[in-house]
Amino acid sequence: MQRWLILFITLMVFWVQPAWATNTQLTWVDAPPHAAQFRKALKPQDWHFPQDFGPHPQYQTEWWYYTGNLETEAGRPFGYQLTFFRQALTPTPATTDSQWRSHQIYSAHFTVSDIQDRHFYPYERFSRGNLALAGALAGASGTPYQVWLQDWSATAVAAGQVRLQAKAENVALDLVVQQTLPPVLQGDRGLSQKGMEPGNASYYYSLVQQPTTGTIVLNGKSYVVKGLTWKDHEYSTSALTPGTIGWDWFSMQFDNGSALMLYLLRREDGTLASTSAGTFMAPDGSTQPLGFQDWTVTTLDTWKSPRSQAVYPAQWQIEIPKLDLSLQGKSLLANQELNTATATYWEGAVAFHGNMAHQPLQGKGYVELTGYATRLDNLLSERTPKG
Amino acid sequence: MIQTLPNGAIASNRPLWRLAWQRLQLRPLPYLLCILGIALGVAMMVAIDLANGSAQRAFALSTDAITGKATHRIEAIAPGGIDETIYARLKRQFGQVDAAPIVEGYVKVPELGNQPFRLVGVDLFAESPFRNYFTDAGSSGNGFVQFLTEPNTIVLLKDTADRNGLALGATLHLDVAGQMKTAALVGTVATTDQLNRRALSNFLFADIATAQEILGQVGRLSHIDLIVHQPQDLEAITQTLPTDLQVETAEAQKNAVQQMTAAFELNLTALSLLALVVGMFLVYNTVTFSVVQRRPLFGILRCIGVTQGQLLTLILSEAAIFSVIGSVIGIVLGIVLGRSIVGLITQTINDFYFIVNVQQVTLSNWTIAKGLVMGIVSALMAAAIPAIEAMQTSPTLTLQRSTLESKLEALLPKLVLVWIAMTLAGMALLRWQSGGLVAAFAGLFAVLLGAALLTPPLVTLLMRGLAMVGQPMVGVFGKLAPRNILRSLSRTSVAIAALMVSVSVIVGVSIMVGSFRGTVVQWLDQTLQADIYVSPPSTTANRVLGKVDPAIVAQLKTFAGVAKVVTYNDADVQVVDYNKPVKVIAADGDVSQGKRPYAWIRPDLGKDPWVAIDAGKGAIISEALILRENLSEPPETITLRTPAGNQTFPVLAVFYDYSSDRGTIILDNDVYQQFWHDPSVASLGLFTQPGVDVEAVVEAIKTQFNDQQSLAVQSNVSLRQGSLEIFDRTFAITDALRLLAVVVAFIGVLSTLMSLQLERTREIGILRATGMTPRQLGSLTLLETGLMGLMAGLFALPLGYVLAWILIYVINVRSFGWTLQMALEAKYFWQALLVAVVAALLAGVYPAVRLGRMNIAAAVREE
Repeated sequence: MQRWLILFITLMVFWVQPAWATNTQLTWVDAPPHAAQFRKALKPQDWHFPQDFGPHPQYQTEWWYYTGNLETEAGRPFGYQLTFFRQALTPTPATTDSQWRSHQIYSAHFTVSDIQDRHFYPYERFSRGNLALAGALAGASGTPYQVWLQDWSATAVAAGQVRLQAKAENVALDLVVQQTLPPVLQGDRGLSQKGMEPGNASYYYSLVQQPTTGTIVLNGKSYVVKGLTWKDHEYSTSALTPGTIGWDWFSMQFDNGSALMLYLLRREDGTLASTSAGTFMAPDGSTQPLGFQDWTVTTLDTWKSPRSQAVYPAQWQIEIPKLDLSLQGKSLLANQELNTATATYWEGAVAFHGNMAHQPLQGKGYVELTGYATRLDNLLSERTPKG
Repeated sequence: MIQTLPNGAIASNRPLWRLAWQRLQLRPLPYLLCILGIALGVAMMVAIDLANGSAQRAFALSTDAITGKATHRIEAIAPGGIDETIYARLKRQFGQVDAAPIVEGYVKVPELGNQPFRLVGVDLFAESPFRNYFTDAGSSGNGFVQFLTEPNTIVLLKDTADRNGLALGATLHLDVAGQMKTAALVGTVATTDQLNRRALSNFLFADIATAQEILGQVGRLSHIDLIVHQPQDLEAITQTLPTDLQVETAEAQKNAVQQMTAAFELNLTALSLLALVVGMFLVYNTVTFSVVQRRPLFGILRCIGVTQGQLLTLILSEAAIFSVIGSVIGIVLGIVLGRSIVGLITQTINDFYFIVNVQQVTLSNWTIAKGLVMGIVSALMAAAIPAIEAMQTSPTLTLQRSTLESKLEALLPKLVLVWIAMTLAGMALLRWQSGGLVAAFAGLFAVLLGAALLTPPLVTLLMRGLAMVGQPMVGVFGKLAPRNILRSLSRTSVAIAALMVSVSVIVGVSIMVGSFRGTVVQWLDQTLQADIYVSPPSTTANRVLGKVDPAIVAQLKTFAGVAKVVTYNDADVQVVDYNKPVKVIAADGDVSQGKRPYAWIRPDLGKDPWVAIDAGKGAIISEALILRENLSEPPETITLRTPAGNQTFPVLAVFYDYSSDRGTIILDNDVYQQFWHDPSVASLGLFTQPGVDVEAVVEAIKTQFNDQQSLAVQSNVSLRQGSLEIFDRTFAITDALRLLAVVVAFIGVLSTLMSLQLERTREIGILRATGMTPRQLGSLTLLETGLMGLMAGLFALPLGYVLAWILIYVINVRSFGWTLQMALEAKYFWQALLVAVVAALLAGVYPAVRLGRMNIAAAVREE
């Protein structure tokens, strides 16, 4: 999954606000390149769970991504996203007297989509990764897996069970997510190639089809909900190949227990980068990798954001002949655009239906659409520290 | 202005205006002096207002710049700040409430001109809801990685960096209470907002980690800013906080600081008003003169149908025009003057109250409006008396020149009555305790103006007497001079009153400052008994910000030649009883060796309450605390807010403290430790062994600890000198005001004399024609002016004494809570007398010379 770009934007531009909002101009000295290097994802590795649920600070970038589609007993639908990003400013920590100095920076995005009342609640937070303000713990050495930013957190509460908690002005969320399948290693045994350059890759696994129960509180009103959660965890030290202006990422969880992930790296000439890829996951956990030539994704309808003026796809026709799969996807709520201080992208709940091998197939999922408001490669090259 | 009369005829004021204009062209000088009088009065007011306002504004700006959008602030009751884990706990519990940690302190930077700079440590990730300095669409470079990950990296305002020739990457030296640190400039903030730019010009920004390390506050936060919109959030947060923390609103924070200087500023404003009062005498004088001169004309005008109203309008309009011109000139002058005194005022505020660095004067519209209105209103008020008088006089009487004087003569007994009434009213105001400082100043002005009204009766009495004894003593002039003064009493008495008021201000202020200085000298002598004083170098002259390195404290206790060490620490503590902050001093011994004088000691404690203090039995409080709270006697107990909740201490004694007007409380250091847990030492008093060379020990201490912390090590003598230097600097502004009062008075006398001599041109022409030489005439003129000066000077002496009494026993006590011992010195009086006579004589020189050169024939012919 290609969400790493979001991270760069989030972290490197965390002080960036739209020009109209500020009248200050910061000029920083040009720092010399750091002598030490971050580790890179060069070849497939052995995975060790639950340790690998935790952080990998030798790599520059890491995130834990929870998205899910939920509904109440009465069938009132909700979507949610709770994402934690970690970004290392330098490969090695600075020696310091103060507890505050940190080379690890965390940010998080939290959204709830109230599909019935057609309202989207996006929130964003930042913190340095020390003083217990934010951080991540490995499953090893007796500490359960945990990643948190202030009072937003994902915490292992029992074997295979993770509790998600987040609270913002008008919304709160408290869910328990149950792992049912082993982690799906994306790409080549978990090595997901992002560009042609060596090391321009990430380690990437997903937990799919996770039954989820809990409550969502909207404006003081509490809803008991249940549904399915998709979790992605990915870490890398990589950059975006120039000429790639953004990506579309699809995650689909079908009623029959199967799941599908696709990511489309869009180039400026309108074609897809050859590193675009995907995975089909059967109900038994077996996987089938997909190359960018294996599918066609056609945009059937678009939605224009009144805020950013960006035009996003809103309805899709997906054909994967290799799987004998034909699907239509439609966003459950038009406006699921995050227009935070740092990034503008669309990430929201989507419903899918169609058929596979002549059997009807339907499900829900999340789609992430980036690079529609601003070209990402340009923005990133300006913002990425030459570490 | 055209009116239609009932019979249909049209009455125009235009001919009247033309008359006034012709007169102005003929005799411009009195008008110019009148304008100058108003201008100087307004200028003083504007200057003081400007300087005060600029200091306040600079402080408010920098407070706003740091407060940002915060609504509340969590702060520690103890001086050590907040445990940083509290912040993390708060964030994990109330993530939805915006909160930002701040670590701040003052540093001096040689590369930036050694001014105190506010080093503010921020957490960039929490900043954006509060302050926008670090939110920037067009930031360039990647030094923020260094800023966040490397120690000793700072950001400066671009203007400040440019002004001091500092490029990115430059190394700065930070003097933190005598300990030198270095820091690299990794970024600059430029802002297009003028106000922000000014506010930020004295800031250094650092990452919160860097600030903790540089300021020696690792593990601690200075405060936590909050943006709380929901009352229930605020309540929930307050409840989770430990007892040693409190939540204050951002507004209360700002007000508390501004209230500290309120009395100081009111005093300055009152002094500037004094100048305006003297200016009013000038206006009154000029207008009276112009009215008197035109009485025949007014009589004729009235006879040919000019109404009373038209006449009043004419005179008041003239005054209004001059007052507008004078006020405008005064405002311009005041701005120029204000720029030069802003430094003096800032210095005093820095010495006594809070650190403020005024880079630019702030001219508010309010200051201009106030100057303009006060100038015009005071001029109109002064002009109203002669104008009404001219209006009410019947046409036939106005044709007689002597009416005015005879009217005044009839008024004399009434003036005495008014004097008595005003003096009584003034006394009542001065005695009115709850009226506060404003009532006290009103009382002072009542006494002053009352005395001015007494001048005509007094002058009459004296001159009549002198006329009788004068001739036998100095010949005909001895009779002529007093009679001349009497004959124009309506104007001479005003000039004398103006000069008297000014000179009495000189006498009063001199006595007050002298007594103050004497009191402080004696107090320093009694209180400072240790031989050597050690403290961190002060960021400002009077206040020490910073602590002595604990390692140095330990070593000083056993330093060669040192017999005994007394340590001091201080902190700002809230007095619950009066709901205001005071300075608490934690001492482990009496640096005065029992010689300190006390205003009150609890009867059962004998002569020295220090034994009881050492035993932790209570507190000693300063008299400022009692006087400023208007308490008639010392309270039995005092309750202080401590990290362990409110604690009540018995009051053992009341001592004098002239270093703070907020109030000071002395506690034993063990008691302080018990409640505040702050073991740091702000200063030490060292007693040397007998026979040891104090200066040698001072040098030895300086040399030994120079590498650790550059300390202020002062012998008893040099500390006293330093204290008195601060004292003198504090009163520099008073001196400046005193000088201005003299200048205004001088102009007043000059303008009066000029007018009088001009008025008497014909009479003097006759004197000359009948054989008086120019030399004799000059002598006569100087005799007259000398007499006037002498009278003004003589009257000013008792008035000055009264003024001093009011300043010392009422104004000072109410403003600052200090009791001063009045000390009279002969020089205050004879110097003032000399000033009065010399000023008057100098003012007489020009008219005397002019008269000497007069064309007799023309003068006699003139009328």
